[in-house]
Amino acid sequence: MIIKNVLAGALMATGLVAPAMAQSNTDITVVLSEELDLVEPCMATRSNIGRVIMENISETLTELDVRGDKGLMPRLADSWEDKGDGTWQFKLHPGVKFSDGSDFDAADVKHSFDRVFSDQITCESKRYFADTKLDFNIVDANTIDVTATPAQPILPLLMSLVTIVPSETPIEFVRDPIGTGPFKMTEWTAGQQIVLTRRDDYWGTAPAVTKATYLFRSEPAVRAAMVEAGEADIAPQITEVEATNPKTDFTYPNSETVYLRIDQTVEPMGDLRVRQALNAAIDREAFIGTVLAAGTELAVAMVPPTTLGWNATLTPPAYDLEGAKALLAAAAADGVNVKAPVEVIARTENFPHVTEVGEALVDMLNEAGFNASLRMVEVAEHEQFYSKPYPEGRPAQLVVAQHDNSRGDPVFSMYFKYHSQGTQSGVNDPKVDALIEKASAATGEERAALWSELFAYVQKDIVADALLFHMVGHSRVSERLAFTPTIATNQQLQLSEIGFK
Amino acid sequence: MTRLIGQRAIASLLSLFGLMVLVFFLSRLTGDPAVLFLPIDATEQMKQEFRALHGLDLPIIEQFWRYLLDLLQLDFGDSLRKARPALQVVLEAYAWTLPLALITMAIVVVAAIVLGSLAAFRVGGFFDRLVSIVSLVGASAPDFWIAIVAIVVFSIGLGWVPTSGVGTPLHWVLPIAVLFIRPFGLVVQVVRGSMLSALSAPYVKTARAKGVKNLPLIFVHTLRNGMLPVITVIGDQAAAMLNGAVIVETIFGFPGVGKLMIDSILQRDFNVVLAAIMVTALAIFLMNILIDIGYSLLDPRIRH
Repeated sequence: MIIKNVLAGALMATGLVAPAMAQSNTDITVVLSEELDLVEPCMATRSNIGRVIMENISETLTELDVRGDKGLMPRLADSWEDKGDGTWQFKLHPGVKFSDGSDFDAADVKHSFDRVFSDQITCESKRYFADTKLDFNIVDANTIDVTATPAQPILPLLMSLVTIVPSETPIEFVRDPIGTGPFKMTEWTAGQQIVLTRRDDYWGTAPAVTKATYLFRSEPAVRAAMVEAGEADIAPQITEVEATNPKTDFTYPNSETVYLRIDQTVEPMGDLRVRQALNAAIDREAFIGTVLAAGTELAVAMVPPTTLGWNATLTPPAYDLEGAKALLAAAAADGVNVKAPVEVIARTENFPHVTEVGEALVDMLNEAGFNASLRMVEVAEHEQFYSKPYPEGRPAQLVVAQHDNSRGDPVFSMYFKYHSQGTQSGVNDPKVDALIEKASAATGEERAALWSELFAYVQKDIVADALLFHMVGHSRVSERLAFTPTIATNQQLQLSEIGFK
Repeated sequence: MTRLIGQRAIASLLSLFGLMVLVFFLSRLTGDPAVLFLPIDATEQMKQEFRALHGLDLPIIEQFWRYLLDLLQLDFGDSLRKARPALQVVLEAYAWTLPLALITMAIVVVAAIVLGSLAAFRVGGFFDRLVSIVSLVGASAPDFWIAIVAIVVFSIGLGWVPTSGVGTPLHWVLPIAVLFIRPFGLVVQVVRGSMLSALSAPYVKTARAKGVKNLPLIFVHTLRNGMLPVITVIGDQAAAMLNGAVIVETIFGFPGVGKLMIDSILQRDFNVVLAAIMVTALAIFLMNILIDIGYSLLDPRIRH
């Protein structure tokens, strides 16, 4: 390899070799921001892996339309039915084949979940099931009963998070993923590229794209330049600075919500007036179009508006500096130490201009009368402040965090962020706990109503945190493609949704 | 010479062992890989299973002892993130870093020696001014800025070379060009200074008096005497390149060991960090031996 590379370099120096860039006009190149460590189906809920695998190589039983139009849709399962007592029956699509030619059946579904729950590998999708135990009963080749203990009302939705692999797949990370999707992986050169080629024997509608090559560049300016130079067709993540060409550059809500996590157990954050003052002291509008991209929306909940139970009556806290000062003064008059040090903790490179956002937040808080300072930390250190157990003897800390929920249901957010047992929760409120538990177990309209009630309660009644922004992402797409990035682009990039002009 | 190399080898092996011990224990003080590998809302059970799967739940002394036993069989363990042998991951990256470093340093050495010698021969002349300008740019302009500007000009504007990647030899042009500037600026100044001193020696005047022409005078008679300090600087610069060129690798998507090492440190992929450091240290050790050999070839006194 070294000799080959030296020879290649030497040939370059003599100018003897020209680049071979010939490709079909239905082949595309996608340039991603980070290289994939794994191409493992059970890790497809990790966004960088999901963009390559999810619904391209591997498919799921159900599929959520995160844009909010169609809700939960069939994929490998044609239909599903609640049989009661926590059991759901899934009818599988007949005649589906994996890319290795084997037939897809109910045994594959069971094996896929056995892999996810195995302690021999660490599958990311396992986290969505937390303490839920699943039992599988294969009724026939195309019918499977899944019993959840305790009963899981959103089991069909959870099925959209687990990719299906053949029964023969070993319980270890694989490097040659086999799936039922419209593409199969035909090349993976570590550090350089991954190539997916369209399958001729796919069970569904054949996509327009015939081949997709994934390249990896960490610098957003280079990703944007590659599309401009014709070396790539899609750069799903560029920054606002690069997004300057209205013909090729798109801005879209990316399902990320930025907020300040308040730890209410440390003075002065336990006082409601102090938390209200904190929210009133932040001029949220001032960030948009300055340090944050135009199009960024003010957040009123931990989840984006396409999520079940979205409460349209909520409005962002108004900026009211004098009101904030008055609230702090009232708290101080009652003996609350409003001058206690407050650390605003942010993670470097968490999102564009995070340092400037942190600095502005600190300035705004101090103007209202807080004693705040900024502390920028790297990812591992940030995790120590963000997740329990929190550091002993800490001062009051406001953790700047970004949370992504494009899964359609608040259950993936609210327990972790607000339940007293939640890993990143700074709240200890019995009513919040009860609402989360009730909503998690409810179905249909009752579920939506309970989530809606919870959104209002945490934002208005107990002011659990300082919700800041629903963020936007930027993508550059070649003019030859018919493709518009959406909120779904943050987690997956279905090649079947890409057409040609 | 053999004895010298043997002594160096023993000293280097002891240094490598010390380095390995230091990195092993210090890296484990920097954080829990389970927290970084797993999503932020992973359950504690998932974290414990991950630690158990990778032996991270064992007492650190036991972890070290197991690592040492594996290392005796040249087993550096598996990458936590890539789920394949750490040594394989590192050697794959080195297969890109090594030719990049070799080609760049070869161009740097040739260009610096030729231009530096000519600059010293005619102080204030064309080559002297050229060398000053390139040295100044190399010392003052940040790599990432030069790299981005090079992409904008040569890839997007002129379309001469690809923006990034490693697919064809043309992909190597910009990384080598950007990587060339800084070490060239340094080495050429050392060559110039060393040659200025050598050219003022009495034997040069004698050679001139005897009618030796300019080019043989510079490159045959004087250069060898002026090269000793230059070799030291070249070794230093080459060692830096063997550590990887993080900026260039990041911007040009070059899958070398520098970016791999930084990513592995950030992700607490301990086995890859250790393997990368050990392989790099070994490469630097070998290069130091080459420098010693170079010294002894240039100056026979060192051999004795």
